[in-house]
Amino acid sequence: MPGIHYYDLRHVTGQVTLIDIDNGVVESAGTSFFNKAVIRVLSKTGWGVLQIDNYTPCTGKKFEAILDAACRLAKITQEHVILGKAPHGILPVPPMKEDPRDVCIEEKSSLLSGIEQAARHPLVVNTRANFIEKIENVHFVDSSENEYFYEVCRSGFNVLAVASRNGNVQMGYEREHSIHGFNLRHKQSCGKKAAEIATALLDAGAAKAGKMRAVLDPELAGVFAHEAVGHASEGDLVNEGNSVLKGKTGQKIGNENLTIIDDPGIHEFGFDPVDAEGVAVCRTEIIKKGVINAFLHNRETLSSVGNGIAGHARAMPGEPPLVRMSNTFIEAGDSTEHEIFEECRNGIFLKGSRGGQVDPGRGIFQFNAEYGYLIENGECTTMVRDVSLSGEILVTLHKIILCGNDRTMSPGYCGKGGQSVPVSDGAPHILLYDAVVGGSGVD
Amino acid sequence: MTRWWVAVAWIDQLLSEAQKSVDEAEVFFVKGTSVSADLKQRKVNLATFSEDYGLGIRTIHKGRIGSSSTNNPGQWRECLLAAVASGKLATPQEWKGLPDPVHLSRTPLSFDASISIEPQVVIELIEKMLEGAEEHPADVAAGSASLSSGRVTLANSNGVRYTNKYTGVSLSLEAIHGQSTGYEFDHSCFLDKVDPVSVGEKATFFAMESDNGKEIATGEYDVLLSPLAYGELLGNVFTPALSGRNVHAGRSRFAQSLGEPVTDLQITMYDDPLLKKANGSVRWDAEGTPTRQVVFIRDGILETFAYDLKTAYRFGKTSTASAIRGGFGGLPSIGHHNFIVDGKRAAVADERVIYVHNVVGAHTANPMSGDFSVELSNAFWMIGGEYETPIRSAMLSGNVFDLHHTISGLSKESRAIGSMILPSIRINKQRIIGK
Repeated sequence: MPGIHYYDLRHVTGQVTLIDIDNGVVESAGTSFFNKAVIRVLSKTGWGVLQIDNYTPCTGKKFEAILDAACRLAKITQEHVILGKAPHGILPVPPMKEDPRDVCIEEKSSLLSGIEQAARHPLVVNTRANFIEKIENVHFVDSSENEYFYEVCRSGFNVLAVASRNGNVQMGYEREHSIHGFNLRHKQSCGKKAAEIATALLDAGAAKAGKMRAVLDPELAGVFAHEAVGHASEGDLVNEGNSVLKGKTGQKIGNENLTIIDDPGIHEFGFDPVDAEGVAVCRTEIIKKGVINAFLHNRETLSSVGNGIAGHARAMPGEPPLVRMSNTFIEAGDSTEHEIFEECRNGIFLKGSRGGQVDPGRGIFQFNAEYGYLIENGECTTMVRDVSLSGEILVTLHKIILCGNDRTMSPGYCGKGGQSVPVSDGAPHILLYDAVVGGSGVD
Repeated sequence: MTRWWVAVAWIDQLLSEAQKSVDEAEVFFVKGTSVSADLKQRKVNLATFSEDYGLGIRTIHKGRIGSSSTNNPGQWRECLLAAVASGKLATPQEWKGLPDPVHLSRTPLSFDASISIEPQVVIELIEKMLEGAEEHPADVAAGSASLSSGRVTLANSNGVRYTNKYTGVSLSLEAIHGQSTGYEFDHSCFLDKVDPVSVGEKATFFAMESDNGKEIATGEYDVLLSPLAYGELLGNVFTPALSGRNVHAGRSRFAQSLGEPVTDLQITMYDDPLLKKANGSVRWDAEGTPTRQVVFIRDGILETFAYDLKTAYRFGKTSTASAIRGGFGGLPSIGHHNFIVDGKRAAVADERVIYVHNVVGAHTANPMSGDFSVELSNAFWMIGGEYETPIRSAMLSGNVFDLHHTISGLSKESRAIGSMILPSIRINKQRIIGK
């Protein structure tokens, strides 16, 4: 069509099954449905985007009318956009060990209830467990006749235990989410662990704030990679000038032992068989041996920024794609866990994640551990609660002294631009010098 | 009005179909459109138009509540079957019925007839933001303007047939100056209540003014939290503790605090759903209970918690009409409409204080205990209401519940932050951790 340089359509249909059990009561258990499409048209001056609920696939004049509407919308845009060349292609979606659709909701509910019951304990005043199963059927087509169909199912659960004693209220929270199929069987241990943490935290002291040596467990170190490095390497932020990593390609910002990767192609929770604009996904080494190596891109930011790899466009159903992380991790090093604690000697061990946030332009990040332990003479001693870590990206990366040899990945969700997408973060145990630890404890 | 009900005749069909198998049924239907433009630096890069539908069905049979949703109203039969099936799994509870219809004014409270969902209008808003941004020598990084309008319909098997029109306008701008960032936003249901020039001006002001920040030594300081920074802590920790569901589930620190002081005695916190031109105003809540003012905390004393029907029936309470629905077609949950923090107003910045415009990481606070550590964003030494020296980087650590006892003043002006209307609050002796 005249005036259209490029278009693509991403149509996602599917269903979500949720079960919520709160203190033994099945609050809700059922299935909902969705059908959402997004059509993007690139005109001479920019993008016109239509978000359509209940999209019925169409061709010929009907489809042309949709393209025309998006094209008219693009008339208010003012920027000449060039799309970088990127390879197309799709990876197979790994088969599930057990398809959750083959398990009836009564059984799911009963298994979830078992996990929730396992979190009960005399000091626990509330137990809550949620199951979520989301099936997405994706159809992508663009003006260059690239067309992909795939189905992906994500399922998993969260379990929360709240312990209370004399007005002190603490929580333990465990979760497992996967693309590998149904995972509610034999998971009572997760409920038990949530209760153990919640009750143990009743006796934990508040962490004392200040600069100290810190050991981060793989989950929290993964969040560190995500918040402190991943976001600042997103091509759209770099392009806007809203990243401290802008213009620093080739510069050394961390130690030799630090390599940070984003790879949508590995079979973790952030897996995408193809990105949201039809580009083949592949591994991007954001930081290689301490040096800024490559940014995460979509086709537009690849052409305007360069220095990186496209294939990182992701979107919620019906939303326009944004440059996003998928599976982000710090590569394993060669230190053993024992060596890391020995080298730390005295400091703090931070475990688990309550989430984090970053201001990539300012290069400031903040995130919170679920709990921690003081490290004294290389050994974990007293448990502490409500410990956070914050700092400046460009200062902190130089302070990663050791990386362990034991990388693991943890699933989660990442928010940006009002869209939430599944991700995984991971790392080995890492040792950080001069970590700025927050907590409300005082001498 | 009549024409609208003809257009949604399927809702009546759905309700009568539902009553063949369940005691009661409820339909919540939203249809909306929106248009937005996104800035990449100073140029519009993307224009979006969206049409959204959401249908949520609840069924109640012998105290078992079932639910399902879809964004395809044409699929209501499947959705109804899924809702009925889901009810079979739910644990039965005490249930005294969905609301009966009452006569309520049909004049919408949050609808601006002058808003039309036109790309040209968002472009004008963008241009005004950019004009405001010119005031200070910082670069625009990104921004957006959007307009929305829609209609919410609620019907139930007791004869409730309510419909409400709404509109919205929202603006945001991000600016950067060197390694210092600034962010400002505005939103309202009325076009003439947003100030795009001021959004642009403030975003570049904060980016510029925060440059060359000075370090601060760790210690205790008096802090003035802006409505934005205060709203982050309040919304993530404090308001969830007022939810009846969290209280009865053992997830609220206020569970045993009714009748006791939970804030400084000058503070009152209430929900005013009928406030004219406010963002969250509505005459009936998400399950059709007529709304009214609810005072949670009066002069520091905790008076009541928020309830929806389900929680109220279960625990022998009365609904406070606090049911809200997140997004299109979501299930009702307990929330608020216009949450207002009020009290004696004072000049809060006369004496030297650390002014905190925003915080990073408030969602990582412990919602049970209230303990938090956040990174400061656009923080300044302030004296006599004037910005003095920017603070480069520091952490604020404390407890959201405890800090409410140390509030020493509320600013004269309040500001809408989402569905909250908040003043700036001055709190004494807060722990700041320098770098």
